Amino acid sequence: MDNIKIEGTDRSPEIDFEFSNNKFSIRGESYPEDVTAFYGQIIENLETHLSDMDGGNVEFNFELIYFNSSTAKVLMGLFDTLEETAEEGVSVTVNWYYDEEDDTMEELGEEFAEDLEAATFNMKTLET
Amino acid sequence: MLAKELYDFRSVIQSQGIIFCYSGYITEPVLTGIGEALKQKLYLEEADKTTMRNIFAIFVEQMQNVIRYSAEKEPPEDTDDVNELRYGILNIGMENNKFFVTCGNKIQRSDVERLSDRLTDLQKMSPDELKSLYKQKLRGPTEETSKGAGVGFIEIARRSTEIIDFGFLDVDDDHAFFALKAFV
Repeated sequence: MDNIKIEGTDRSPEIDFEFSNNKFSIRGESYPEDVTAFYGQIIENLETHLSDMDGGNVEFNFELIYFNSSTAKVLMGLFDTLEETAEEGVSVTVNWYYDEEDDTMEELGEEFAEDLEAATFNMKTLET
Repeated sequence: MLAKELYDFRSVIQSQGIIFCYSGYITEPVLTGIGEALKQKLYLEEADKTTMRNIFAIFVEQMQNVIRYSAEKEPPEDTDDVNELRYGILNIGMENNKFFVTCGNKIQRSDVERLSDRLTDLQKMSPDELKSLYKQKLRGPTEETSKGAGVGFIEIARRSTEIIDFGFLDVDDDHAFFALKAFV
């Protein structure tokens, strides 16, 4: 799978999917006009890649400033995919970076993490 | 006369604590533009980051509701035309030292009951109940009448520091005006 690099905009996050070394990052703001158009294909590629893995390590970094409810639905699906991948024997580490002055983003990270058991989850503050 | 008329109009708006007022067709670029100005204003007001992000989040969900669901639109018939325009009104202001975001648009009268029941349920929920419903909706299938995730109202209720306020007004045989107000 080719690596995916998409520059961030005011309304869509920077995407950095390094399939070659299993390191994935989503950074910035996410309230695109059309969530499906933005995330549909890249998430599909990611899911295909993860389901083909046989062991190994995956690192997923979320560095989000703000996301809307349509994006939240995508993130929830992504967390479920990462948990399933970990259940299949892949070592999955999820890092949730948040601005320490933003309580809501901290809470959202904790909420998404509640359902992770097989995957390792870390909360980290963003360097500002 | 012109200046007086417009100044009086402005005074009426300002006397209600309104900082931003927009009435017209709401499009994604309108959301982007007002959103940028809103961020700057909140920054200059030195609002803390949690407050800033909560106001901004409520603003985005409210605007996207109008863009997706307002029943007052051009052209009037249902199309997949990307040039479709939908009408709504947005007020952002301060009342009793709290920010508020109010949004209104026409809806079909046949949708009033469903919407009213849904929002009444949200009003009664505790933060924990709202969280559970939010996660349940994020995992559930997208509702047929919903072009978004169907969780916009829950998002608004969760980020409000007071119980959300809403109301309906019948405006003609087919339409009602729907208003929703949230405080942060």
